[in-house]
Amino acid sequence: MRTIFLGGLLLLTLSAAQSPSPSSGGYVGSNTCKTCHAPVWANFYKNPHYRTLATGAEPPEKTGCESCHGPAKAHVEARGGKTTIPRAFSLMPASQSLDTCLACHEQSIGRAQIRRSSHTQADVACNSCHSIHKPVSARSLLAKQQSNLCYGCHNSVRAQFSMPHKHRVNEGAMQCTDCHNPHGSAAPVWRSGLRPRMVEAAADGEQPCLRCHADKRGPFAFEHAPLRVEGCETCHAPHGSVNSRMLKRPAVFTLCLECHNGATGFGLSGGGIPTQTSSHNMNDPRYRNCTTCHVRIHGSNSDPRFLR
Amino acid sequence: MNMTSRTLALIAAASAVVSAQPPAAPTPESVGPLRGDEVRGYNVTNSVELGYRLHGVNGNEAGYRSDVNYGNGLRLLGSSLTINSKEGHGKLFDEVLLNTQGLGNDPYQSATFRIRHNRWYRYDLSWRISRYVNPGLTLEPGAHSLNTSRMWQDHDLTLLPESRFQFLMGYSRNSQEGAGLYTQNLFDQHRGDEFPLFANIHRRQREFRLGGQLQYRKLKLILLRGWQRYLEDTPLSLSNGSGLNAADNTTLSRFSTANAYSGDTPFWRAHLLAESGRWLAIGARFTYAGTRRGFAIDESAIGASRLGSAVNRQFFAGGSGTRPVTTANFTISLFPVESVTLTNHTAFHQVRMEGNATLTQVQNGFGGAAIVDFRYLGIRSFINATDALFRPARWLGLRAGYQVSDRRIRSVEAETIGAFNERLPNEQTNRVHSGLFGIRLQPAKPLTFNFDLELGRANRPFLTLSERNYHAFGARGQYKRGSLLLSAAVRTNYNTNSVSLFSHSSRSRNYALDASWSARRGIAFDAGFGKQHLDTLTGIAYFASGDLAAAQSSLYVSNIHSGHATVRFALASRADLCLGYTRVQDTGDGRAQQAAGTGAFPGVQVLPLTFDSPQARVSFRLHPRLRLNFGYQYYRYAEEFSSLRGYRAHTGFTSMLWSF
Repeated sequence: MRTIFLGGLLLLTLSAAQSPSPSSGGYVGSNTCKTCHAPVWANFYKNPHYRTLATGAEPPEKTGCESCHGPAKAHVEARGGKTTIPRAFSLMPASQSLDTCLACHEQSIGRAQIRRSSHTQADVACNSCHSIHKPVSARSLLAKQQSNLCYGCHNSVRAQFSMPHKHRVNEGAMQCTDCHNPHGSAAPVWRSGLRPRMVEAAADGEQPCLRCHADKRGPFAFEHAPLRVEGCETCHAPHGSVNSRMLKRPAVFTLCLECHNGATGFGLSGGGIPTQTSSHNMNDPRYRNCTTCHVRIHGSNSDPRFLR
Repeated sequence: MNMTSRTLALIAAASAVVSAQPPAAPTPESVGPLRGDEVRGYNVTNSVELGYRLHGVNGNEAGYRSDVNYGNGLRLLGSSLTINSKEGHGKLFDEVLLNTQGLGNDPYQSATFRIRHNRWYRYDLSWRISRYVNPGLTLEPGAHSLNTSRMWQDHDLTLLPESRFQFLMGYSRNSQEGAGLYTQNLFDQHRGDEFPLFANIHRRQREFRLGGQLQYRKLKLILLRGWQRYLEDTPLSLSNGSGLNAADNTTLSRFSTANAYSGDTPFWRAHLLAESGRWLAIGARFTYAGTRRGFAIDESAIGASRLGSAVNRQFFAGGSGTRPVTTANFTISLFPVESVTLTNHTAFHQVRMEGNATLTQVQNGFGGAAIVDFRYLGIRSFINATDALFRPARWLGLRAGYQVSDRRIRSVEAETIGAFNERLPNEQTNRVHSGLFGIRLQPAKPLTFNFDLELGRANRPFLTLSERNYHAFGARGQYKRGSLLLSAAVRTNYNTNSVSLFSHSSRSRNYALDASWSARRGIAFDAGFGKQHLDTLTGIAYFASGDLAAAQSSLYVSNIHSGHATVRFALASRADLCLGYTRVQDTGDGRAQQAAGTGAFPGVQVLPLTFDSPQARVSFRLHPRLRLNFGYQYYRYAEEFSSLRGYRAHTGFTSMLWSF
């Protein structure tokens, strides 16, 4: 049974690997294009797509202007006009733009989930963020500075990064793509409901926070289970917060007590997440800052209660 | 440069600048010839911005350092260099890209570098430093503070980047260094005193990668082998004397500690990608990483307990932790007809964290028996998501999805003290079913509407805050014509996680309005307003003066209003003026006074505050290759119920932007 399954999978994979036969008619070459589109051509050698011309080894349908815009014979014969360009991106629906770019760019680790990404489902195509001929950044050919591109649609995120306690995106120390993959990502495995579709997990499927905050990664002899099961967002607002340490509550003890309330059905044993002991007198302010004593709250090697 | 090109350049610069709301440097205006200079078969564009920063703070300077942190001094605020071979046939390289920001002494510094030869190699470098200060700003008493510098660097080298066989090599380094102030509870874990613990933080993680990529027709295989090394050797020291609580008699006369924590993570990553542009695409990924960490702690403390009796305590702990992680993903996309995309995604993740620690504590010569503590936490997740996208017409798109996830958590807690042995194993499974529906409408080309709804049910959430019975709705409308962009969005998340006598509900609603527009004559405008509402009601239980309060709730209310506006003028190609304003205001639940203390837990927790920041920047074009810039940004942080953390800060810079 396993042999049949594996054989079927192999056949499916190999059949997918068969490249479609290219059509060959109507290509005029990029030298013809530059006759009229001189301003575009003047800087095109700086563009990564120029490599298709530089190699000189690619077939016409994968060379220069026509690799993206299609065979230009009809366009030339009509002496211009957008409607005569087989693939004029400003006239194309988002799905067609996507298919055109993916014809060359699909086989990448970063774009493996692009077909199911929220951007694709909302018809945010490649040319919504990338500008091939007028990029502001030579890397990735972005149409704007990265954070501004994202803020353009994600208005509330801009507000989160303007809060007093935040990751330094506006300051240039971080970028949205440090944590997110705008081309879609594999399903996160660190929470169960409302899974984000654009958060790029670390290479081992772990939360992206742990890429930088390596000291929180462990493994520890005594793990604080919510970190591993539900993720850092249980306590922190990752974009920014009005609360110190980007916490979800202004006072630490309220954050802890919302889980440590003994409600049955929750926690590792199902018997409830333990409440504090009776020696903790919450009328005494010294007990309200839990992390003063439970200092290793992200995990400890020497104390099950995270005291050292 | 002719007039048309100049106008185009100005418009491009304007549109790029106006939507930005960064701190007032580096200057985004362009300088130098748009198309660069020709040097020996290469095209070169470059610019360097050298400037001086200054700042002044009234109020809580520690708060300013935590939130903003720009200082005084000379800086290389920004630089940019591009070198491109003219025909893509450079001898040593075809492309060089270098960008820097904040070099000198800015708290946020970065550099990216790429050098590439089309045929032979590509090398990418990313380097960043972030200096972060946390002065211990929790509202309740707390002495944890941090003044550290994090540095990240990534090096990636690809050999034969245009070939079907590529070789990949990489190195990454992530370090954190600086001072930290923590606390340590001594002599009685429930009622002992806390002492400030100074930490000279040294944390380093290094990663080496080696691999290759093989392509055959439309099949691509990427294989990567890597090694990670983590080392933490943070010296800790405690001050002698009394602790943080004045009413407590605990004193410390001598303390010493030494600890070590380090380990390795070897890993394998494999990716398989296959596609047929006509009807099928397949992506698969498999990763395995095995992590092992070893640790040892040796601690000695001598002092007096809260009852005044002498205490002489030695503590030793040693052991190891392991974490093997297996992750697999498989995605298959089908395109049966042009207007339909079907995608199925499967994710499998298994992680086991095991640790054992041998703890020995001797206090006044007693209690020397070794305690062997063992913990196991295993999480296995299986997720399958199917999405269908149907575009029957250009103006209409429909999508639907179904996701099921199954997560099993196993835990074992074991403790051995001499002949005594206790072992507590637990296992639980949580299954979540969720459905996604969406519609996209485009009644006219510049106008689009997107609506989406997700409904989910979990049968066994892990935490009281986790999603159990939730729905999320989002809607977005956008009008885009030329440089005019108008958009409005709303997103709501509601979750109820109530069982039996316990209740938890969380509701968040976000609203946003945005508008931007660039005129041809160098005027550009961008503004937005948003409101983020969150209210969370959760049952809590706690002890107050020995009595258990179990019938209370924690109600947290936050209403954050935020706005930004930026306007930019280009004056006769000679000067650029940019004015901006950002404001964030949390009004809480609208109350004007702090809740009177009703025991430990006020009925409503709010933190009303305002954080706003106007800015102005002017840039004069002195010469086609030279600009003179001035910038000013003001920050004001004010809490309604306390003036302790408030501050007002003036920051500014003056700089020269030069292209040579």
